[in-house]
Amino acid sequence: MNIEFISSLIIPFIMLAVSLIVLSPKKNYFDEFLIGAKEGAYSAFNLLPTLIALIVALSMFSASGAVDFIAELLAPVCSAIGVPSELLPLLITRPVSGSAASSAYLDLLSKYGADSFAGLCASVIMGSSDTLIYVIAVYFGAVSVKKTRHTSFTAFIVMLFCIFLSCAIARTFFT
Amino acid sequence: MLGKCFSAICIISIIFACFTGNIGNMANAILDGASRAVTLSFDLLGMMCLWCAILKVAEKSGAIEFLAKLLRPILKLIFPDAYKNGSITAITAAISANILGIGNAATPLAVNAMQKMQETNDTPDTATDDMVTFTVLGTASLDILPTTLLAMRRAAGSAEPYKIIIPIWICSACCAAFAVMLARGLCICGRLNRSKKT
Repeated sequence: MNIEFISSLIIPFIMLAVSLIVLSPKKNYFDEFLIGAKEGAYSAFNLLPTLIALIVALSMFSASGAVDFIAELLAPVCSAIGVPSELLPLLITRPVSGSAASSAYLDLLSKYGADSFAGLCASVIMGSSDTLIYVIAVYFGAVSVKKTRHTSFTAFIVMLFCIFLSCAIARTFFT
Repeated sequence: MLGKCFSAICIISIIFACFTGNIGNMANAILDGASRAVTLSFDLLGMMCLWCAILKVAEKSGAIEFLAKLLRPILKLIFPDAYKNGSITAITAAISANILGIGNAATPLAVNAMQKMQETNDTPDTATDDMVTFTVLGTASLDILPTTLLAMRRAAGSAEPYKIIIPIWICSACCAAFAVMLARGLCICGRLNRSKKT
């Protein structure tokens, strides 16, 4: 029972559960399924304009040599805490914008490969962190609370912890 | 916000390209980038549709309420005040939606939970302990099946895109636990400080 085998069972299992629900005579669940699929298409197309702007900007950024320059500057810090320096564009964008982070992530995957060590670290970071600034702004903006006390500080520390832990976990699992 | 990021990245890139002599490279990168964004959206389209459809079925068949019932005992420990003043139901709904990765539903539910907590807040301009904990927990992703991520890995040519799922679970669980402990711990520190002063 290796981890790849267990992981590969998860999605088929979900499909089985859904098909059993759809069989239920109580309600027409297949119609709900189709409505959901339509909503998915809508949100995928909604993403396209942002994706174009940011992927173009990030392609410019890496082609100009700026990324190599910054990565070279920060490489000693990164290697000291066990984080591959290829992750830097992703780490910079992750707390600020979800779509910018997605673009940086895709850029990284196409450059170094999805199954490279950097690609795996990046995947774990993407999966276990969220757009910090957006979440705090929306949650507190909704109730117009001005003094958020230690929220931003704690969230930032948690994100640093998450980055460090992601790379440590990727190292134990995949190397 | 995003507009400023976009401009900043473009301007810095152009300045850098002038200095490093990469202008030609960059011109090609602009053309490639635009078409890559389109290919990408099409790669993601299928998986996003499928997952939204699955979640719709889960929502209508009561899977979310079931998850909420399972979570209740744990959340009682994390949000003791909310349990007393009745906002725990809204918090449970929001966290269940977060776990299932229902992006469209999770944000309104979270806002609703914040509003419920605000109703019983004695100091309306300052966050309560529960609000801080809830928001910090919201910044740590709880998503149990990051489908967009899987689709992106597949699109980038990964042979086994799903092999990161279990590492992500471990990492998410640790981060969430750390987030709750740190947020609660700092709340207690703050209270001790205040009582020392008075």
